[in-house]
Amino acid sequence: MVANVKEVKAKEVTVKRASPEEKRELSFKDEICVGCGICEKICPVQAIELGPINAIERTGVEESKISIDETKCVLCGMCSSVCPVDALEFDIDEKSIKEIEGYPKLIKSAEISDEDCIYCKACETACPRDAITIARVLPDRSKLVTGEIEIDKETCVSCGICEEMCPADAITMEHHEPTSAEPTVSTDINVDKEKCVYCLICKKSCPVDAIKAVCRSCSYGEYDLNPEDTEIKGSSFIDEEACVDCGWCQEICPVDAAHVEKAFEGELLIDQEKCEACGACLEICPCNVLSFPKEEFGKQGAENVRAEEKYCIYCGACEKACPVEAIEVKRTAVKHTPTKSKSWEKKMESLKT
Amino acid sequence: MVELKVDQDKCLGCGNCVVSCPVNGAISPESAGGHGPKTEEVIMMVENGLVKLFNVDKCTQCGTCPLFCPTDAIYLE
Amino acid sequence: MPKHIVSGLKYLTAVELIRDGFSQKDVANILEMDRSTVSHYLNGRNLSWNSIEVAEIITNFCSRDFLTLTYALLNDSEKTRIIIKTCSKKKYQAKVEDSCIGCGLCADTCLMNAIILDDLKAEIDAEWCCGCLMCGDVCPTNSIKISEEKNGS
Repeated sequence: MVANVKEVKAKEVTVKRASPEEKRELSFKDEICVGCGICEKICPVQAIELGPINAIERTGVEESKISIDETKCVLCGMCSSVCPVDALEFDIDEKSIKEIEGYPKLIKSAEISDEDCIYCKACETACPRDAITIARVLPDRSKLVTGEIEIDKETCVSCGICEEMCPADAITMEHHEPTSAEPTVSTDINVDKEKCVYCLICKKSCPVDAIKAVCRSCSYGEYDLNPEDTEIKGSSFIDEEACVDCGWCQEICPVDAAHVEKAFEGELLIDQEKCEACGACLEICPCNVLSFPKEEFGKQGAENVRAEEKYCIYCGACEKACPVEAIEVKRTAVKHTPTKSKSWEKKMESLKT
Repeated sequence: MVELKVDQDKCLGCGNCVVSCPVNGAISPESAGGHGPKTEEVIMMVENGLVKLFNVDKCTQCGTCPLFCPTDAIYLE
Repeated sequence: MPKHIVSGLKYLTAVELIRDGFSQKDVANILEMDRSTVSHYLNGRNLSWNSIEVAEIITNFCSRDFLTLTYALLNDSEKTRIIIKTCSKKKYQAKVEDSCIGCGLCADTCLMNAIILDDLKAEIDAEWCCGCLMCGDVCPTNSIKISEEKNGS
């Protein structure tokens, strides 16, 4: 008889079954799991049990978010197929079922188009899962400066005012203790052209008008900036393991460079009457959908908790977390690649509520 | 199995847990106002200056009371 | 003793295969035996009639016992398959229902290697099915229906 083998390494659990014909392996990554319980719901043999998610997330109880009973698990792979955050991976002969034709796969994605991205980093800051990294190379500042200054050292009285005033620290005076042999307070004064931004604060503050300014636009008429010199180069990266396709990047992007496709459609309903504002849903939600509306605090008839549904992935974790059944997550559509298996199709449909 | 537990030696009897517990609030709405629940149907109450668990089976382990307890006297384990 | 029963089973298989039109050479290949041993077997030499009698009784066991006993004696799945298929007197019809989830437990269990998975569904090759029903026992969704094929149906 072929039996299942379970391995537990830190918080990674794998269940395997190997026969001469086929090797099946289910692996669970606890740190990716959001505790939504969809796997528990779909498992055809009730081998998965959701752990005490609130206790784990809020009070630091050391337990796995789900437990897989290897004596019940038949290694069919359904849990992996429907996990909205890919915390469960299922391989047959070391190939993920996401790459095996015939296995249904949730249709979900998040992309940032490098063509449109202006590398403003708004998405990087907003991403609730810290899944986005924007790397950018800024233009050489000195190439964008529109003019040059020059200090007439004959006129300069070495007062040091320009050095003190310069916001870019571009002016340095060689201070000197006067001696009878050399009765000056400074031996030299220099402008670092790499640092100077041609703001003309120095010129405006110089008491003896020793600073001459040469404006490029004035001298050459047209502003002769080389377009290449102004280019901001960069790249964007989405860590697919961490990304939950919540849509924050898409919503916050000022230039529509981020595109997110969500696997589930639905509705998030909150019963404000029942809500006791305990905050469990806020902490469990992987997408920062929920918040306490501060401005309404203490007002009559105010919302206890507010939901911005555009960030919701309808995973249902909040519904499970709510201790007073004030939240209902309805799933009206489950988008997945086709499967010929009637039982799988039926199971995928069963995720609708 | 994780369960709600109380360490009475640490308890100050402040009642934060009683007030913050969302299930208590649902069972006895006045407990949220800080006046103390009117029924022993709630999960926990302060009795003789110490917290006492009345209906631990109603606890959903949401983890709210441990967040508000100043001395970690109420906890999930 | 087990060796003798194995010889008996091989004898019965060899007789059937020859009847099905295989040559002695083919039979030797299939059962991984010496050609001369096959020849001896077929001429009733080097083999006690008792062994053949016992083997015959075994072939009349219920399918599962016939299969598991033969596999235990030979410890060789390929030869077990041939012996069971050749000596089994019954034919079976196998149907896999749509409730099958394609977990592959049946395929892993089937000693006759009669089951493959196609599009997340088990497919049973009736040609090789010996009716042991072990697949049905492990099926988590109770999707396998196997019935004996009656003569003429």
